Amino acid sequence: MDNYDVVVLGGGPAGLAAALASNECGGKTLIIEREKLLGGILKQCIHDGFGLIRFKEKLSGPEYSGRYIDMVLEKDIDVETSTFVTEIKKQGEEFLITIVNSKYGVKKIKAKAIVLANGCRERTWRQVFIQGTRPAGIYTAGTAQYFVNMMGYLPFKKCVVLGSGDIGLIMARRLTLEGCTVEGVYEAKSTPSGLSRNIAQCLDDFSIPLHLSHTVTRVFGDDRLNAVEISKVDEKMIPIPGTEKIVECDGLVLSVGLIPENEIAESLNIKIDRKTKGPFVDQNLMTGLEGVFSCGNALHVNDLVDYVSESGEIAGENAAKYAKEHKDRKLIRMNADSKFLYAVPQYIDINSLNQKVIAYFRSRDIRDKMTVKLLYDGQVIFSRKYNKLKPPEMERITFDISKLNLKDNGEINIVMEG
Amino acid sequence: MKSLNKIKSAINKNVNGEVYLKEWHKSIILEGKVKSWDDFIKAGQIAANKGYKGVVNNMEVEGFKSPPIKAPSIKDGTLDGKKVDVLVIGGGVTGCSILRELSKWDISCLLVDKEEDVAMHASSRNDGMVHPGIEPKPGSNKARFNVEGNRLYTQIAKELDVPLNRTGSLVLFDKKILKAAFPIVDARRKKNGLDKIKLVSQSEIKKYEPYADDNVGGALFFPSTAITCPYKMTVAYGENAVMNGAEISLNTIVLSIHKEEDKIVYVETNRGKIFPKVVIDAAGCFADVIADMAGDKFFSIHPRKGEILILDKKKGRLLHSVLAKPSLTIVKGNTKGGGIVKTVDGNILVGPDAYEQPLREDFSTHMENINAIANKHFPILPGINKGDIITYFAGVRAATYEEDFIVEKSEYVENLVYAAGIQSPGFASAPAISREIERITIDVLSKMMKVKKKENFNPYRKGIPDLSLMNENDRSELIKKRPDYGVIVCRCEEISKGEIIDAINSPIPTRTIDGIKRRVRPGMGRCQGGFCMPQVLNIISKEKGIDPTKVTKKGEGSNILVSETKQSK
Repeated sequence: MDNYDVVVLGGGPAGLAAALASNECGGKTLIIEREKLLGGILKQCIHDGFGLIRFKEKLSGPEYSGRYIDMVLEKDIDVETSTFVTEIKKQGEEFLITIVNSKYGVKKIKAKAIVLANGCRERTWRQVFIQGTRPAGIYTAGTAQYFVNMMGYLPFKKCVVLGSGDIGLIMARRLTLEGCTVEGVYEAKSTPSGLSRNIAQCLDDFSIPLHLSHTVTRVFGDDRLNAVEISKVDEKMIPIPGTEKIVECDGLVLSVGLIPENEIAESLNIKIDRKTKGPFVDQNLMTGLEGVFSCGNALHVNDLVDYVSESGEIAGENAAKYAKEHKDRKLIRMNADSKFLYAVPQYIDINSLNQKVIAYFRSRDIRDKMTVKLLYDGQVIFSRKYNKLKPPEMERITFDISKLNLKDNGEINIVMEG
Repeated sequence: MKSLNKIKSAINKNVNGEVYLKEWHKSIILEGKVKSWDDFIKAGQIAANKGYKGVVNNMEVEGFKSPPIKAPSIKDGTLDGKKVDVLVIGGGVTGCSILRELSKWDISCLLVDKEEDVAMHASSRNDGMVHPGIEPKPGSNKARFNVEGNRLYTQIAKELDVPLNRTGSLVLFDKKILKAAFPIVDARRKKNGLDKIKLVSQSEIKKYEPYADDNVGGALFFPSTAITCPYKMTVAYGENAVMNGAEISLNTIVLSIHKEEDKIVYVETNRGKIFPKVVIDAAGCFADVIADMAGDKFFSIHPRKGEILILDKKKGRLLHSVLAKPSLTIVKGNTKGGGIVKTVDGNILVGPDAYEQPLREDFSTHMENINAIANKHFPILPGINKGDIITYFAGVRAATYEEDFIVEKSEYVENLVYAAGIQSPGFASAPAISREIERITIDVLSKMMKVKKKENFNPYRKGIPDLSLMNENDRSELIKKRPDYGVIVCRCEEISKGEIIDAINSPIPTRTIDGIKRRVRPGMGRCQGGFCMPQVLNIISKEKGIDPTKVTKKGEGSNILVSETKQSK
């Protein structure tokens, strides 16, 4: 049986960064990737805009992941691609991982620590309760992107995009460039879900209309989609009867949200935060189960890959350190108030040697001129002013806890003040 | 027998419109025009079970024109002039099971279906429950075939290698109803010839279903209820028939039936004229259309639709059998109540509902029905909620006004046999119906030719291996032999490339995304094929040597892709 210090599940940007960091810290590291090639979803993201923070350059997805893949291949990091994890069991202090691939059949691997870098999946049209028939021609933006960018095929002649998430916006542009008519982008919320830069570059520049407070309520066509029904929605995003209009089209693209993939975490009974849909973690990105770390979009859905890589590094580094030696954690809660959609990490391990905390948060609503404060025991331990906060744009803060004398019965509260 | 005049006045009193009645071949024919579909149905129901053979509802409904039957566009002569001993029309579980039972005999059998695959209508659009047989009226065909079919399934599932769990079902009752229900249900149980049922006290409910809502009076436990996979069963029946020499021709629609005297001579299809000795009408929602073509329409099918929700496997642990909580009407045995079912694949299904509507091939779903099903059934399993729904689907039941199966030889056409009006519990009844149809058919055939059993009939059919359920050594061995079994394509359901290729090349080959999904499950999971569908498309394209733009979801016109991109070449 193979023994590793750290096994990283997933060879996308989070997993690649985690493996590099683990290797850097001296951990014997393995990446398990279920697809044929490393790179994760970046393989099909041929548009640019990746790496502005990390590399101070505008790279395409494959270029960004390519840099990491090159670094991984240079290092003494084992990689198993086209390999699927069927089960993970905790055995004493270690983990027993069962994998399946063509090379070995079924094989067991032992790991001292595990990094979950499984990424996320797309919400489907059925999960947003679109009624009607079940024709061909309804695909998530990621599936449509795979058809166009990886296979070189167009799935529609004329389509409607539901949801203004970033991939939806990117695909509206991509499909237009390939000669498909994009009738419009419809968004149930009253504000766009994607980054402002994508609204400008993908819709405005191509005169694709964005219809806020509208959703697709029904689809038509027995074999292939032939029309969709669009309805206006109220403030609670409930369709308003009588506002229906029919748009003829042979395609519907869904960009209605991403869901962190945590089926493996759940199989290990790791507690999941309902807000992030990823595991609860401390500042080392260790989950509720000792020795299991989470990062990237499996932890919470990021809007920039640079932050995905950063969280991968944190998880990988701490997983390698954990594999070498570890002491008991003393966790205190870090709570974000209701003005936030969420904040990560949700816990601080006050026993950890890592006293520099990197935290990410999203505001629940669009707000101008806000101050975000961290409070401990009535004291302000961190404060920053923001001109504008909005849900699609994740914010990152760092703070030092070494001088704070945190006690195990305390808690940190994150608040937003106008 | 009630007089036609009395029935007519009863109808005209209760429905809006003008209704005329006449008697033909011992059946009642309804003509005239009514205001709404509800009136149309009500008229048929009033005329039913008044001592006539059947009710034929030929009325018009104001403002409604029945859409044409969806037909394959292909026209060729591949079947032209083909002589067969038996022609089965309809590739649902009824038709496929009949084909399989007939394949025991040394005769030539052909099944035709207008769709791209078998099990495209009701047989893939139900919850897979093998009902115990308590609901049908004692003495009815439904009662007989349901109880018998239920018993036969253990053996059939073994022979055809289809998973079947005999879990039993737990029916919860409010305190008031339970007291009234038990004696009624138990009396009916005896009449229908079911195994004993058990009265479960409130405190015992959790022993059967630990997560059920036990805030009720108690429950009845029906031990013979089983669950299997309806479309896998249909495919398996069909495959075993094909293995034993029967033929299946898909994308083949019956256009007309030509008789001489009282005998069918040939059946015209879009693939040519077929000359059968015996014809079996197992055409589901179109069984009356086939009967009409043969000049023997003594019944009408009215499509009764139902919708079902599918929940994420994650919640599968909350249930291990079938759970329902009926209202009082169910005790009387005339409405379909629906419930919660744990499938053999680990999902939970909720539903179905039942409503009358005029379209025989409309499988669309509706928010109000989805919400109503959730509101009705979710409370009996408190751990489930709307967020667990991964998808939903609709099916259409082929109901007659008599609400009973028609399993008999035609009274007026010598060589026509009916397996019609097969609605719920039709799936549960299929093994028994098919044996009865086998008996009738062989009887008819024996008058025309010498019929003997095949010496080398093989009742066993091996399914495609489900690697995710295998022990590690067997799985490794199999992967060593066929490395494609080690390439996981569908991550939600853990389905390998090898299993998908097996499905493409199975005895009833399939080349559609949905056909593969029904056979080996890629795309059945929570991502609904978002990740694996393009891979499955590529595998089909490669295995079948067809261009990716020609790969369809479910047959003609449902192509996944439209063209190459500008720069792809």
